[in-house]
Amino acid sequence: MRTPTWGRAPTPFAAARPRSHRKLVMLLAGTATLLAACGGTTSAGSSTASSSKVGGKLVIDSYMGTTWPCTFNPFNPALNFLSVGFTYEPLEYINDLQTTSSGSSQVEPWLATSSAWSNNYETLTFTIRNGVKWTDGQSFSAADVAYTFNAMATSPALDLNALWKADGGPLTAVTTQGADQVVFTFATAAQTYFYYVADQVPIVPAHIWSTLDQTKLATYADSNPVGTGPYKVGSCSEANVKYVRNPDYWQSTAANPVPRIAEVDYPSFLGNDQANLYLTEGQAQWGAQPVPNMKTAYLDKGPDRYMWFPPVLNVGIFPNLNNPLLSNVAVRQAISLALDRSDIATRGESGYEPAASQTGIITPTYSSWYDKSIDDTAYDPAKAEQVLEAAGFTKGSNGIFQNAQGQALSFTLQTVSGFSDWDASLVIVTQELKAAGIQVTVDDENSGPYTTNLETGNFQLAYAGSGGPYTQGGPTPYYELRGDLDSSNIGGTNYSRYDSAATDALFNEYAATTDVSQQQKIIDQIEQVMVTDYPFIPVTEGVDWYTYDASKIGGWPTASDPYAQPAVYAPMEDNGVILDHLYPVN
Amino acid sequence: MTYLRRRLGLFLVTLWAALTINFALPRLMPGNEAQAVLATLHGVNPAALHALEIEFGVNVHQNIILTYLQYLGNCFTGQLGVDHYGIPVVTALLQALPWTLGLVGIATVLAFLIGTLVGILTAWRRGGRMDAFLPPLLFIVSSFPIFFMGLILILIFGVMLNWLPIGGNYSLDATPSLSLPFIGDVITHAILPGATLVVVTAGLWIFSMRNNMITTLAEDYVKMGRAKGLAPWRIMLDYAARNAILPNLTGFAMQLGFVLGGAILVEYTFSYPGLGYLFYTSTTLHDLPMMQGLFLFYTMAVLVCVLAADLVTALVDPRTRDA
Repeated sequence: MRTPTWGRAPTPFAAARPRSHRKLVMLLAGTATLLAACGGTTSAGSSTASSSKVGGKLVIDSYMGTTWPCTFNPFNPALNFLSVGFTYEPLEYINDLQTTSSGSSQVEPWLATSSAWSNNYETLTFTIRNGVKWTDGQSFSAADVAYTFNAMATSPALDLNALWKADGGPLTAVTTQGADQVVFTFATAAQTYFYYVADQVPIVPAHIWSTLDQTKLATYADSNPVGTGPYKVGSCSEANVKYVRNPDYWQSTAANPVPRIAEVDYPSFLGNDQANLYLTEGQAQWGAQPVPNMKTAYLDKGPDRYMWFPPVLNVGIFPNLNNPLLSNVAVRQAISLALDRSDIATRGESGYEPAASQTGIITPTYSSWYDKSIDDTAYDPAKAEQVLEAAGFTKGSNGIFQNAQGQALSFTLQTVSGFSDWDASLVIVTQELKAAGIQVTVDDENSGPYTTNLETGNFQLAYAGSGGPYTQGGPTPYYELRGDLDSSNIGGTNYSRYDSAATDALFNEYAATTDVSQQQKIIDQIEQVMVTDYPFIPVTEGVDWYTYDASKIGGWPTASDPYAQPAVYAPMEDNGVILDHLYPVN
Repeated sequence: MTYLRRRLGLFLVTLWAALTINFALPRLMPGNEAQAVLATLHGVNPAALHALEIEFGVNVHQNIILTYLQYLGNCFTGQLGVDHYGIPVVTALLQALPWTLGLVGIATVLAFLIGTLVGILTAWRRGGRMDAFLPPLLFIVSSFPIFFMGLILILIFGVMLNWLPIGGNYSLDATPSLSLPFIGDVITHAILPGATLVVVTAGLWIFSMRNNMITTLAEDYVKMGRAKGLAPWRIMLDYAARNAILPNLTGFAMQLGFVLGGAILVEYTFSYPGLGYLFYTSTTLHDLPMMQGLFLFYTMAVLVCVLAADLVTALVDPRTRDA
């Protein structure tokens, strides 16, 4: 989750993720979550607005703390939020915020019209769409897809999701087949990798990229990006990127000339105040930060302004399980019982982030995966004390519990500096834990040392968002929870260093099945692990920061129509989907 | 000649020491640099860390002596590496340089001129009306923390009166060109940060110049000038000021060197994308190549300017040549 001044270091951000009826009917689902989406008509559906007018200008307001170096390499994780979705697109679009009624995720054909697993989920075949053109006029084909993935093998720095075997993933080969098919071969059953392969890899033009030095693709500046997306880069200065609409965009029809906004401006902001001022004065429409005093400073100042913060990832306390006191489950349970999560959500996060559940399932985003009967999250400081006493701890004269050897339950809690909302929440956390007999001292670190400490285990307690400050959630809770709990992620995102063979087996079981009901049973068991073992203690649900001004532009994703994730700072195709939906008003 | 040789020798030794410290200091900061880079990236799978280490050239598995020697070599060939956005450090520095040179350079020169002039005049008419008000007032103002002064100016002129923009180097929807409107836009954006710098730093020049002048005015050659019947302004400038300014010249030359450090607080307060702002972001983001590049720029600038100041002093004041 990203929290700007509200917590955000100058450059970094966290992400969060919100469909068009325009985009046709979603295909089947029933079967596996990540099974082939049947090809269907794509896009160019009914327009929600009456006319097919093209025009208007969209200004994006996202404080990234840097001026633009005018490079648009979609594999540069520091800057690819400028090009993914705008100019580069993936094979299929998966909306993390929506699941079908049976729980499987919404998959929409994009540059691929269909896909199919075979060979026990070890072979994945995509059929590539015809008639798509690159912005330089050349035709897009299956060869571009094969090239993109193979370039990730020759230049490992491009393999940001570690797909290839050499980088620790299951992918072993990518080849074209026939005129319009691409075949992916995996070493093991890889249905959980569909998300990464289909939705998270931007396809680049082979006729341009293959002429470059193949070992240096990651540092290729790509100042004039050639992509298949709805926009082209018109001009770029350090202060602003001006995108112009791609008139030959593959989704565009005479009846519905997508994209309908003619120009998009993406200014660079070095300071939060500037970004907030731009937003409150109505000079930008798509905002990405919670302005302090949202209601009076932003919402009330214009006729048609809204905010929506969809929750996507857990933010909470990660105990280092190597610490002898914290390895005692009673201590962790006591911490969870001592916290009034709704109070922290209201006062610490200004009500923008909902209270989290100890099950680790984010609701309402993943409601179909959440089992209320397993959830025993409660605010019960009295019970917390009982639990500690039953485990042999006694309260010292200073009100803090200690064990039989006299070691007190006194810990340091690391957090990242700059996240003022986290700091506010931690004041409440400290007070509530003290009242229950656990002493906590908050330690602010800069993001560099903070991340290093999380990954090396150099902390006692840590306040963190799952996966780090800039992670996205994924289409099901599997992705986040696996990152937090699977032992293979110790040294990475498994900050607690939780190591349970039984839990690892559960995740492997999930990956081996595409039967949604089976997957849900497995996730239920993971929820059970969360409420019994307390490997980490979720406190609030991290959100996508999103505000929009609908007075001049319509078609925004909303809570009732979460057709894409609305965080503009996340380098995901969701941005492109939103751009395809927006239209000028009056 | 020996003076020149000695100064050059000293310059080279100091340069080497500075480069070595520049190399060591960032590496003494806590935290692994590769992980610090990862910390700022967007949603990257940590399994890809190794690949990213390669991309950003933060491969930390090399012998430190070898790295040091490579670093020294790179300093002289201008190969300062790639920052954590993947942009060559030199490009980023050159992009920020003109803004700092413009804003901070001009402000420094203005502050020096204004401060020196006021210092000369108030010393000449010591005890007069100007002397009663100006130095104490400017002294108080110059002891404000610079970011505080900046915020006050933003509040008054940017927010309350809305006369001037609150930050940035030019309007967000302006396209850089050499046209008059764009230059006007740049100047409008530079007024507040420039004023902050001038107001806060001028005070220091006033005092040092005034004190130097007062001492010089007591000298015999000034009495001689008066005895000769020269015009007062002639004595003030040619006899007194010319001698009084010498210590300040060295100080001023050093200040010019400091310009490249970019007045970090001012650039941060006004979101002005110059070298100072780069300093700030590279430190918080633990961007090693950028930090090294900036330190290099900065130390070279100061050393060169100090050398130049010494040479100019030798030129202007014959007494120092024999030292």
